[in-house]
Amino acid sequence: MKCRRCKALAAVALPSHHAGFCPDCFRKFFLKQVETAIRRKKMILPEDKILVALSGGKDSLALMEALTRLGYQPVGLHVDLKIPGSSDVARKTVEDFCSRRGLRLIVADMEEWGLPIPEVRRKVKRPICSICGKIKRHAFNRIALEQGFDVLATGHNLDDETARLFANTLRWDEAHMAGQSPSLPAENGFARKIKPLYRLSEFETAAFAFLTDIEYTTAPCPYSRGASFTAHKALLAQLEARSPGSKISFYEGFLERGRPAFQNRDSDKEQLAPCQYCGMPTSAGACGVCRVRQLLQQS
Amino acid sequence: MIFVRLEPESEDLTLPKPNTVLQLLNRLQLGRTQALVIRSGELLTPDRRIHDGDRIEIRKVTSAG
Ligand code: SF4
Ligand SMILES: [Zn+2]
Ligand SMILES: [Zn+2]
Repeated sequence: MKCRRCKALAAVALPSHHAGFCPDCFRKFFLKQVETAIRRKKMILPEDKILVALSGGKDSLALMEALTRLGYQPVGLHVDLKIPGSSDVARKTVEDFCSRRGLRLIVADMEEWGLPIPEVRRKVKRPICSICGKIKRHAFNRIALEQGFDVLATGHNLDDETARLFANTLRWDEAHMAGQSPSLPAENGFARKIKPLYRLSEFETAAFAFLTDIEYTTAPCPYSRGASFTAHKALLAQLEARSPGSKISFYEGFLERGRPAFQNRDSDKEQLAPCQYCGMPTSAGACGVCRVRQLLQQS
Repeated sequence: MIFVRLEPESEDLTLPKPNTVLQLLNRLQLGRTQALVIRSGELLTPDRRIHDGDRIEIRKVTSAG
């Protein structure tokens, strides 16, 4: 197979684009997709301070790399959850990546925040992943707010987004469908949230990571119960294999024609006030995360 | 025979030589876009030939999460 652009030997074949690319042209193709996403969804304005959530996996690191190559100056944020067996590797991966490339990195250490996940897991009865997710989002929002970032970028790719949309659709979860977007405006004191990789598949981000020498971690979290979306991803992969391009048209079609219908329902807008402990916007006096922290301190 | 390293499981396999990358992926029940196929630091497209004695790394791309 030959590269579509320069006719050299192809390294990456993309059925959804009916094309193959050599390493150099693939990197250009990838960056162009990210640029298009940013432009079409008005994700980043000139002068915006950009914070990128870095987990140490391929997607977030590929995003950081792409933004840097596009001329932005993003700052990385890693949340160290203190989970034995996975957090150490993740933190080291992110630290090495940033220091090798001379990128600024902020590490939010959940031990220092009084929220180490293993202890949260012991003391709180609800499923750990939902609380852990809440704590991560809290840390991202709080650092963004306190340090004056305008945009918070995450590495969600097309497969993540379509799997989530598929799950939301199966349940006709109107509220979540109204809120699913690769670019959510700043609101209630939260920074704008963007997903610049939403047009790129997992395969494409993995190829980009490989072709830009990114070392990423795949160490699974010991608390993971086999990710909930994996089955949906497999179904969508079958569909995509049979008719290439279905994922992107499912998602783009939703953004254009599906989501507006759900947004119009004007879900009861909650009144938010700053949390009395951390200052983050919340509907109760103390936010959910501060209540977890108090629970840990009591016992 | 060829030697295959499967990631992220870090599993080593020895397999009879397939003709192409596509045949290899089929044998492992992987779709064309479910894994990167790497030989000597180079990414291979599904139409590439496989040679006897090749050492190949197969990196699945689906992240848990
Ligand atoms: S799998 Fe681990 S890191 Fe991910 S949300 Fe659950 S507890 Fe947190
Ligand atoms: Zn080329
Ligand atoms: Zn709080």
